[in-house]
Amino acid sequence: MKKNRYQLEFKLFFRSSSSWIGIFVLLITGFAGLYFGKTFIARQEAVIEKAAILQKKNTLKNIEHFGDDIGLLFFHNKFTLANAPDNWAAFANGQRDINPYLISVTMLGLEGQLYDTDINNPVSLLLGNMDLSFVFIFLFPLVITAFTYNLLSEQKESGIWSLLRAQTNQSFQVIWQKFLVRVAVIFSVALLLLLAAMFYLALPQDVTFLSVTVLILLYLSFWFAVSFFFISLGKSSNFNASALIAVWVLLCIVIPASFNLFLTRKYPVPEALQNVINQREGYHEKWDMAKDVTMKPFFKHYPQLKKYPFPEKKTFSWYWYYAMQQMGDDQAFASRLAIEKKLASRQDFTDIFAFFLPTIQTQLGLNKMAGSDLATHLEFQQAVRKYHEQIRLHFYPAIFLNRDVNDTDIKDYKLEKYNRQQIPHVWINMLSVSLLTMVMIGATALNLKRFNS
Amino acid sequence: MSGRISTIAKQTFKAAFNNKATLALTLLLGLSLCLATYVGWQNFKMQNNQRLHYKAMVRAQWLAKPDKHPHRMAHYGYLAFREKHELSFFDFGIESFAGVSIFLEAHKQNTVNFSEAGFTNGMLSFGEISVAMVLQLLVPLLIFFLGYNSISAERESGTLKILLCQDVSWRQLLWGKTMGIIGVCLSIFIPLILLTILLWASLSHWQISMDSALRLLLLVLTYAIYFFIMSAVTVLVSAFARSSKSALITLLAFWIFFMVIMPRITQAVGVKIHPSPSKIEFADAIATEVHQQGDSHDPNDPHYAAIKDSLLKAYAVDDVKKLPFNYGGYIMAEGEKITSKIYSSHQNELNKIFKKQNSMTTITGFLNPYLSLKNISMALTASDFNTYVDFQHQAEAYRYQLAQKMNKLQIEKISNIKPGDEEKPLAISKSNWAEQPDFNYHFKTLDTVLSDELLALSALTFWLLVTVILLQYSTKWLKTI
Repeated sequence: MKKNRYQLEFKLFFRSSSSWIGIFVLLITGFAGLYFGKTFIARQEAVIEKAAILQKKNTLKNIEHFGDDIGLLFFHNKFTLANAPDNWAAFANGQRDINPYLISVTMLGLEGQLYDTDINNPVSLLLGNMDLSFVFIFLFPLVITAFTYNLLSEQKESGIWSLLRAQTNQSFQVIWQKFLVRVAVIFSVALLLLLAAMFYLALPQDVTFLSVTVLILLYLSFWFAVSFFFISLGKSSNFNASALIAVWVLLCIVIPASFNLFLTRKYPVPEALQNVINQREGYHEKWDMAKDVTMKPFFKHYPQLKKYPFPEKKTFSWYWYYAMQQMGDDQAFASRLAIEKKLASRQDFTDIFAFFLPTIQTQLGLNKMAGSDLATHLEFQQAVRKYHEQIRLHFYPAIFLNRDVNDTDIKDYKLEKYNRQQIPHVWINMLSVSLLTMVMIGATALNLKRFNS
Repeated sequence: MSGRISTIAKQTFKAAFNNKATLALTLLLGLSLCLATYVGWQNFKMQNNQRLHYKAMVRAQWLAKPDKHPHRMAHYGYLAFREKHELSFFDFGIESFAGVSIFLEAHKQNTVNFSEAGFTNGMLSFGEISVAMVLQLLVPLLIFFLGYNSISAERESGTLKILLCQDVSWRQLLWGKTMGIIGVCLSIFIPLILLTILLWASLSHWQISMDSALRLLLLVLTYAIYFFIMSAVTVLVSAFARSSKSALITLLAFWIFFMVIMPRITQAVGVKIHPSPSKIEFADAIATEVHQQGDSHDPNDPHYAAIKDSLLKAYAVDDVKKLPFNYGGYIMAEGEKITSKIYSSHQNELNKIFKKQNSMTTITGFLNPYLSLKNISMALTASDFNTYVDFQHQAEAYRYQLAQKMNKLQIEKISNIKPGDEEKPLAISKSNWAEQPDFNYHFKTLDTVLSDELLALSALTFWLLVTVILLQYSTKWLKTI
């Protein structure tokens, strides 16, 4: 009997053309999101491959041009580290459009090179990327709204509700069943898209996949709970539609957008500009100072390099030059830490705030899993620092002793890829979304109590 | 005739405010607008002051450099900061996505770094609230809520028949309702504009420029047109819809499709059709061309060998050291000329590609008035792509001029004989540094801005015409019952 009623509800649901439109909209935008997201990441992968070839080509060219002067060679030669995209990056492009994924640096001062951006079209950055996470976060809630806003009100407005109430005392069961049918359909579409993503983006079936799936389903449940809350108020269709859209606008646009403005206001990053100035002065002023001013702190920083004789008398030596460059970085050390601290406090504040906002929570969670968030970029920057330091220490002796370039292993240096060290988790994000869902369910239960009595 | 329209408009206006929900929504929107204006204004002041602070610091440091070789100064270079236009607190446009500072040095063109977007987590994909955003996105939503049942409710309650019997024409009804809804919008918009004018004047230190005043005037005008278009569309949808409910659903679907989904898709398509090179490809293309045209680092390069020969001939000497000017400076000036020309042509090519990518969104303005207004608004508040490109141009022109100035000083004032390995380096007096002026960005004038935005402006005009025509002539297809 009960099973039959569900079958009937499914039939009813699929008979309406608006149901099909909703499903098609989700599927089409979902596939479009997958396509554009993958295109975007595939392009980055292609560029990384190309960069690997150019790295070799340019090194050889530099050796040909500047091979006689080892100091000059390393003045020009760049070393590249690539933030290799995870397959998941195509699912949620996140900040990968804004932050550079290839950082090429010479052995000179790092602080002057590390923050160089990619060449980007700022309008594209402004309008944002189209990827599957966008469809899940922005469009699914809208279709959920469209499917459910009039479940009760339509019955009331067409007069069926009073008939139903007269015939059975389980009238609300009918609404509940209709609701569950819609939950089942939306969840199926979501799972279908996730499955498509799994094949199309070659995502491994691991904990990450499971976490993303759970997070998304929780997020969708949140919107169903919101919708059901408004149904339980028993207002008109027009009220429900307006109210649900208003909630969507608030959660997806107004609150996050206001928060952004607040964040910029509360945590400005003038340290970044200060850092550039510190680095530039720290290096350039040394030209006009006694060599001691440079060399003493340099040897203090690297006592192991003291064993290489420093040509005091020479007006110019590469030894001195690279030490001056190092001073730029050393003098920007405090401001660099200040930037990191500021960014960390921004992140902490965002995390607290996001706890109350499922939209932000889910977006941040997906970006995190996809390795396209700010934290991953900062880790990548740290990896560049490490790589740069390693190269410096490796080639300093050769430069300081003015060795022949061919005695070094510079030709063996190729483009390196940075891969994330640890798999992130999104427990907090799941917890937050579940709690908020629970709150909505609680509020609905209260409403229903009143409704039944 | 016009008396009736205004009666209907007044009635609609009053009815809207009698509804408590509308009143609450309008007040809420008005409040959030004032808040957005205020915080945006504060942000503007803070960010711009930071930039001005560092700008002054950079200048002072430049002037304070001791006597040295001019080429050292060319490498010391300059830091330029992108200043904000005083109207950009109204519309942030691409402000947060465009870099803020650029290091200008000899031989090398750097990127504009440190955009606000680089410091934020994925949050920024939700947008940033600004006055423009509220007016472009949320006010239309208010209009839809206000007007979705403007005609359909009259029809459903049967009053429509009575109205039309009482010698009120369809045309008057449509115009009256539209005007009434615009009236509600204006009750938010007018105080906001007054606030904007006040804040803008204070940002300009009460010395307002004609150019900015005209920009603001045009902003007010285009936004008013936009509200009119939105109100007219709402009333028309309400008049044609079968029921209030279907009118509401149609309008909400429009809103979502045109304002949320479409901008992303058009841009993604634009990027797909006109792919832009990555930074390494861009740099490699330039390097290859520089190598072909003449490489000042290569002693056997034919271009520079020819220059050397002709110089030796002209001055009748057998060694460049005997030339009456600094040969190294001369060669560097030539190198700078060649590379910067090549760089600029590639940069222009790149910007053309970006423009093509964006043109997809601009052309879509004919389908989507939101996009055309967005473009116009960004252009008028100088927070658009063209202004950013213009900044890059001016910064590059400054860089080139600085490098060549230093080369000239070297050619004229530095001896042609290199000092020995252990001798003091050659230097010129620090008094020369003041000759290099400070970098000041000059915003484009309004007439260039308008000619750049011709397409977006015509798209908005097109929409204005379409809605006026529909209000006037679509009445014959309307049903009373």
